[in-house]
Amino acid sequence: MTAVVIDGKAFAAKVRAQVAAHVARLREEQGLTPGLAVVLVGEDPASQVYVRNKGTQTVEVGMNSYEHKLPADTSEADLLALIARLNADPAVHGILVQLPLPGHLNSDLVINSIDPAKDVDGFHISNVGLLGTGQKSMVPCTPLGCLMMLRDHHGSLAGLNAVVVGRSNIVGKPMAQLLLGDSCTVTIAHSRTKDLAEVCRRADILVAAVGRPEMITGDMVKPGATVIDVGINRIERDGKAKLVGDVHYASAADVAGAITPVPGGVGPMTIACLLANTLTACCRANALPEPKGLTA
Amino acid sequence: MTATLIDGRAIAARMQAETKAEAETLATKGWAPRLVSISVGDVAAAELYVRNQQRQAEAAGVAFEARNYPTDISLEQLTGVLAGLNADPRVNGIIIQRPLPAHIPVKALQKAVHPLKDVEGMHPSSIGNIVYNDLALGPCTAVAAVEILKTLPLKVEGLDVCVIGHSEIVGKPIAFLMMGLGATVTVCHHMTRQVAVHSRAADAVFVAVGKPGLVRGDMLKPGAALIDIGINRVDGPNGPRTVGDADFESCAATAGWITPVPGGVGPVTVAILMKNAVLATRMQMNHYRAAFAAAG
Repeated sequence: MTAVVIDGKAFAAKVRAQVAAHVARLREEQGLTPGLAVVLVGEDPASQVYVRNKGTQTVEVGMNSYEHKLPADTSEADLLALIARLNADPAVHGILVQLPLPGHLNSDLVINSIDPAKDVDGFHISNVGLLGTGQKSMVPCTPLGCLMMLRDHHGSLAGLNAVVVGRSNIVGKPMAQLLLGDSCTVTIAHSRTKDLAEVCRRADILVAAVGRPEMITGDMVKPGATVIDVGINRIERDGKAKLVGDVHYASAADVAGAITPVPGGVGPMTIACLLANTLTACCRANALPEPKGLTA
Repeated sequence: MTATLIDGRAIAARMQAETKAEAETLATKGWAPRLVSISVGDVAAAELYVRNQQRQAEAAGVAFEARNYPTDISLEQLTGVLAGLNADPRVNGIIIQRPLPAHIPVKALQKAVHPLKDVEGMHPSSIGNIVYNDLALGPCTAVAAVEILKTLPLKVEGLDVCVIGHSEIVGKPIAFLMMGLGATVTVCHHMTRQVAVHSRAADAVFVAVGKPGLVRGDMLKPGAALIDIGINRVDGPNGPRTVGDADFESCAATAGWITPVPGGVGPVTVAILMKNAVLATRMQMNHYRAAFAAAG
């Protein structure tokens, strides 16, 4: 094995420490405490775990956490009314509605009712368009985390060939925009791509975000490339449950120059970036300079 | 020369006929489409362009009002004008002509146009919709380029596409539109190390950079489609003439299809603007009926 392992857990801790330092300074100098409101509808067990983790980490970096747990049969009108209240609340700088929502609620409508300036997930259609037109926006957390790790590893990304496998709205597409923003030559490959292996082998930076366990194998990786594995797939192997990425780790690590493991790679960065976004939103809302290195 | 010349004027004429029929249908329902064009200052160059739009609009059954405001108008006054147009049910689309004076940031105006009246497809939420593959009103030039490609006997799904130029209003939206149609898209730009490596691997190349002679025949795969979006004025032996970003002769010898400049993407772009005008009118009619009226 030759690849450098990019330790997402350690990197996320570093980002959280940076956020915490900024938060402390904001409180001291401005008397401000960033606040993140998380809205959970229903009792999906996985969502409950995510929301709990987000709340804990929010408090750990010194921010205020507001959790709103609503019953599964909450009406759209009630949910929209809550969002309207949070939009108007000056103590709330970030609003996150935990997805998926129960079937009777229209997620697009709900997400687009969040004030774009408080949309710390970066899913509001305006933020998507702002990112697409190179304007200040809230950047989706997972691709932002990947970008931070890439910048940390490479310094400048300008001129590198990047291939993003997967064209989802929450990872693939914003990832491509961010890499273009950092002047990579970007190819977006997906299920319809004719010769995926050949496309992947052109990549200096290979980002896998398809949700198919161990689909990217070592023979698809250019020697020395940086491989970012966004996938988190639960599989069963030898009768045991196991978490694997979209990349076949062992074979890819033999060829790659650097690689993120699963778990412990991209995953921990997502919440760290959520906190970074909340801090950024707080600074923007108060016309204060944005912390450096914590957004695109 | 082996390439088939793509006749943009003929494609535009077909679109215009469809638009005219739709405009007449809307008029019988009391929703005759109407555009308002806003220009600021004494802009002789834009005037020619506006007059052309006006002619095309009238030919497509779309009413067209050209407004010109003095150079010293403030941003606040202009956004006030836009607020009035947004609220006016007799206005279905707003065009903001460029160039604008230095004290008027174009993005601020584009954001102030109501998304349902954004016939130029420049509002962040219009771009956001493109990224999310939910095509409503798209940026005209990008949509025109993609529509032209769709007239060719090529299977777009799985097609290898190279976009040269990553501007926010042409290159990037083309990339997302093509990706939405299932193509594998690579976006190249001024930081790309070897554009030819990418363009030679592509079945279709879009170029939108603004540099005459940028794409030469030896940069293309034999038989590929070349959509040239550049419009450059150059000096020739018989005075100034308009050329695209491609070196036409060498490209036409290699490509399977090629758009001429002028007479390629240009006419289709204006046709798309008019198509957007009737589309916007229909969306407004549906929105009005859903919100206020039962039948009609």
